[in-house]
Amino acid sequence: MISFLSRRLLLMIPTLWVIGTLTFFMMRLAPGGPFMSEKDIPAATKTQLLHQYGLDKPLAQQYGMFLWNAAHFDFGPSYKYPQQQVREIILEGFKVSAELGGWALLLSLLLGVPIGVIAAVNQNRAPDHAAMALALAGVSIPNFVLGPVLVLVFSLTLYWLPPALWRGPETRILPVLALAVSYVAYIARLTRAGMLEVLRQDYIRTARAKGLSERVVVLKHALKLGILPVVSYLGPAAARIIMGSIVIEQIFAIPGLGRYLVIGATNKDYTLVLGVVLFYASFLMALNLLVDIAYTWLDPRVELR
Amino acid sequence: MYGKQRPRCHFGGIPPTPIHPAFRMPSALLSSRPVNHSRPFTRIALVALLATASCTPPARDHRYFGSVTPAKGQVFRFNNGAEPEGTDPGVISGQPDGRVARALFEGLIVSDPQTLMPLPGLAYRWETSADGLVYTYHLRPGLQWNDGTRLDSRDFLYSWTRALDPATVSRNASLLYPIRNGERFNKGEITDPTQLGLAAPDDSTFVVTLENPTAYWLFLNSYYTFLPVPRHTIEKWGVRWTRPEHIVNNGPYNLGYWKQYDRFEFVPNKSYWDRSAVKLDRIIAYTVDDLNTSTNLYKAGVTDWNPSGYIPGPFIPQMRPFADFRQGRYQGVYFYSVNVTRKPYDNVHVRRALNLAIDRLSITRDVLKGSREPWGRLTPEGYPGYQGAPQVAYDPARAREELIQAGYPGGKGFPKLNILFNTSEDHRRIAEAIQAMWKRELGIDVELSNQDWGSYLQATTSLQYDVARRSWIGDYLDPNSFLQLLSAGDGNNRSGWGDPAYDALLKQAARTLDPTERFRLLTQAETMAVESAPFLPIYHYSTTELVKPWVRGLYQTALDYHPLKSIWIDHDWRRHLPRDSSVHP
Amino acid sequence: MSIGIAPPATVLPATHANPPRSLWSDAWKRLRRNRMAVASGAFLVLISLFALTAPWLPFLQDPTLQDLARGATPPSPAHWFGTDELGRDTFARVAHGGRISMLVGLVGTFVSLVIGVTWGAVAGYVGGKVDEFMMRVVDVLYSLPYIFLVILLLVFFSKSLLMLFVALGLVQWLTMARIVRGQVLSLRTQTFVEAARALGAGTPAILFRHIVPNTLGPVIVFTTLTVPAVILQEAFLSFLGLGVQPPAASWGTLVSDGAKVLALFPWLVIFPGFAMSLTLLAFNFLGDGLRDALDPQGRRDGN
Repeated sequence: MISFLSRRLLLMIPTLWVIGTLTFFMMRLAPGGPFMSEKDIPAATKTQLLHQYGLDKPLAQQYGMFLWNAAHFDFGPSYKYPQQQVREIILEGFKVSAELGGWALLLSLLLGVPIGVIAAVNQNRAPDHAAMALALAGVSIPNFVLGPVLVLVFSLTLYWLPPALWRGPETRILPVLALAVSYVAYIARLTRAGMLEVLRQDYIRTARAKGLSERVVVLKHALKLGILPVVSYLGPAAARIIMGSIVIEQIFAIPGLGRYLVIGATNKDYTLVLGVVLFYASFLMALNLLVDIAYTWLDPRVELR
Repeated sequence: MYGKQRPRCHFGGIPPTPIHPAFRMPSALLSSRPVNHSRPFTRIALVALLATASCTPPARDHRYFGSVTPAKGQVFRFNNGAEPEGTDPGVISGQPDGRVARALFEGLIVSDPQTLMPLPGLAYRWETSADGLVYTYHLRPGLQWNDGTRLDSRDFLYSWTRALDPATVSRNASLLYPIRNGERFNKGEITDPTQLGLAAPDDSTFVVTLENPTAYWLFLNSYYTFLPVPRHTIEKWGVRWTRPEHIVNNGPYNLGYWKQYDRFEFVPNKSYWDRSAVKLDRIIAYTVDDLNTSTNLYKAGVTDWNPSGYIPGPFIPQMRPFADFRQGRYQGVYFYSVNVTRKPYDNVHVRRALNLAIDRLSITRDVLKGSREPWGRLTPEGYPGYQGAPQVAYDPARAREELIQAGYPGGKGFPKLNILFNTSEDHRRIAEAIQAMWKRELGIDVELSNQDWGSYLQATTSLQYDVARRSWIGDYLDPNSFLQLLSAGDGNNRSGWGDPAYDALLKQAARTLDPTERFRLLTQAETMAVESAPFLPIYHYSTTELVKPWVRGLYQTALDYHPLKSIWIDHDWRRHLPRDSSVHP
Repeated sequence: MSIGIAPPATVLPATHANPPRSLWSDAWKRLRRNRMAVASGAFLVLISLFALTAPWLPFLQDPTLQDLARGATPPSPAHWFGTDELGRDTFARVAHGGRISMLVGLVGTFVSLVIGVTWGAVAGYVGGKVDEFMMRVVDVLYSLPYIFLVILLLVFFSKSLLMLFVALGLVQWLTMARIVRGQVLSLRTQTFVEAARALGAGTPAILFRHIVPNTLGPVIVFTTLTVPAVILQEAFLSFLGLGVQPPAASWGTLVSDGAKVLALFPWLVIFPGFAMSLTLLAFNFLGDGLRDALDPQGRRDGN
């Protein structure tokens, strides 16, 4: 296990290098550069700007500088927000996004898994149909429709909750709900499917034959394996949900991390984009590593080599 | 705060929607979309859609949009829009950035909150030489920065020189070009700052010498690029001097709190020379870039002011009946730029045909539902004494004739025309309408191409387009702010068009002291440009904003600039209402 | 824990000898017995036909015909689904929009299915360095800023349907690959796999005959969940300039445009939304039916 872990952690370095390098060159290939605007900037100013950020150096040298700095977790100041270091922007935004995403993830697991289990146990009966209809509604209403509908009902019609901002606990409710719903649906559907596969397996029959109560069979034996597809799904999904949702953050004016990738991309803010991308990649890989470890725990037959 | 309020169930609630920041112009003003009057269906459908919402009984005050409960005390809350890129007055550009800078700093000259006419700021008086070239400003005595450091004329010498220094990378340095040698210094052609027409003969006197008499110089002075900045702080902290923990300022307010993409909070600056005139105890400026969200916050009573540009277009007709909605002219024009370096757009008849075949009235009346005005020339309205070029009218018959003259009768043989715009719902809607007009009137096949902001800027600056959406917002109250756009080789021209006669007229006007003659020359130049049609004007911008009835001292202005210093909250607003002009335009 | 021998009948030599056709024809028989699945299938065929023949249907108006003075009118006998803000008939736009959305949904999902399942199955089964490498490729693709990928596609290639599919295909299979790999990791040590191996079945045979069919449940569920995701993703791509070109529209662009005026003109989001949801619902029932029909376990029970 130790060797597996250390190997996987070491492998993150070349993977991050590939991601950083590809992103670096993709950005340079995209049309437009930083410091372009609708209003023209005089050539001398532009030259000065490029010089300030080392963008007048040969590309290879810029790339080398980026690698060197990235190795030190230093991406320099943002081009768009020059008074801030990319690191500061990411940390500030991440705190908020992680809280929002954490709640949403918790909610979707707490709702999704039980719904999926109930549906599977009652396959093709009323609770199953009800649960799956609910789940389907969850996926087919995109969050950019759901968010506004929630605001319309709870903020602007009933005046129960604030329509936006990130200030007290009451401002958490609507965005967490809007963010969680589609994940609830995915998790419920995947749990159901996984459980159905497992519930038919012989070892479950054996367990039942041994006279174990249905509750124990389902929750102790079946769930562990049945939840495998959800666990696989959770690696990337958790990364996405915790790194911030552009749509939800925009609708609810939440100062999270989600919007910075788009802002960075639009403004060709190279340092900001690279910082966010590498941060996201590390996070994703860490989660995927956790998922792989979770496999061995949930299903002892899985061996990690 | 929520739940106590029981407003009526009118249906103006706006669901926020994601407009990617990526796809919105910075400080973009949204145009509006058509609206119909079919409330019954809307209600039914909404109920069907939501199946839950029960309407609360109508509250008493139906004259206003949303909550009518002000916050306690002298607290003013508004949405400042997108996150400012910075707050260093000498460097920044953009409306949200400028609003923050002008709350924190004050310059020689400030603007009248109603008319924007120049008023004494740090300079209590000034003189102009007879030839209009030398301005002498006299500073108030005893001025200081909020850390107690003295502020005198040398601070202005430093600040204006710094703004012009290419190393400062000021985005708006061109506003200081009227200063003698200002342009050459900024462009790196001379490097000695003492050659600039700036001097501080003593602590309280600041003398500026201009290159040419500049009629709008004093207007320019109130712009944020002309604000003083604290040398000692900048030299200590470098580019990070504007961070809340370092910043030193001299304006009516201090920075109390800041969190990225959340909010700024301002509190009065105790060492400000006119402290007694500052009535607010606190200002909260939220950073909300989504238009629907911004309007929702206003409706819920979280903000007192929803500035222009932050009401989604389609909702404007719904807002119009409310007493807290106001609309006025704004110094900006939306137009299509034609790339005259490409065939067949190098042909003036082609450009005229395109120009004459645009039904501007239909676009503003039907597509934009009256939230903008049809416009047929480059310069906007609002320069007293300036006549301007005659406006292009919609004339499909003449448009077809022009196309025949160009050699494409009925559009035969005309290549496929491409309209370029940066991705946005509103730009697309207008483009689709024009696409249909050119097809119908001229028989020209048009394809639309939307690009992300970076690609769009790249394509327009490098002239890789046929016809591109553009708009221009005036920086100062003078037609020059617009006419400069079309001078040959100007970085903002982006159409490839140029005419030596046009440039000569602008140069001649710049040297002309007599305002009537100057405006005559400018009108002549503009008429030339309109006839040659390198740009196809479409509409004149408007400001559309929502202001709660208790907000005083916040007026509709032509440049959509609103000094925060004059604002205060009238808690007795219900009794004062009919006499106050700031609520009803 | 004791595991009984080989649940799937496919392991038995007798089945092995059978041509695969019997498996499929069995499944087909069972599928036909599932009324919901048949109804859903019929609905999908109908709506696809409707979308495909939209340009020639006499009762449909021109989806690009503008009537600026009569913009955004609610449903009426003249316009069943109302009109949009430029006065175009929403019914016609939904009908035409279905073409691109169904196509995109199907192709995107197909790509997700083929690449995702193969990639995940191979990685999970072969394991070791191969798995390591293949999964890191997935991580890289997950992490690259998608918006740049799309912009670059637009820069280097002309806009076309093919590029749209490439842009969708680039990312849609990633989660599928991870799910399948997770399942395969758990399956590959099961006795029926070992039995098959002992009987001399080659790796591809083991993978695609024995392992993959046992992952079908989660795979089909995830596939059906992918359809709406792809349809909405197309709206995002259209926003970036790849995807449908105005004045044409797709369900995705109609829904995302409509969402912005939800409170004013709800019909602009309700009707395309319904079309999309109904299609999705049909895909789901069909998917569930397929799953049940192909389920090896169910097959044995059925015999």
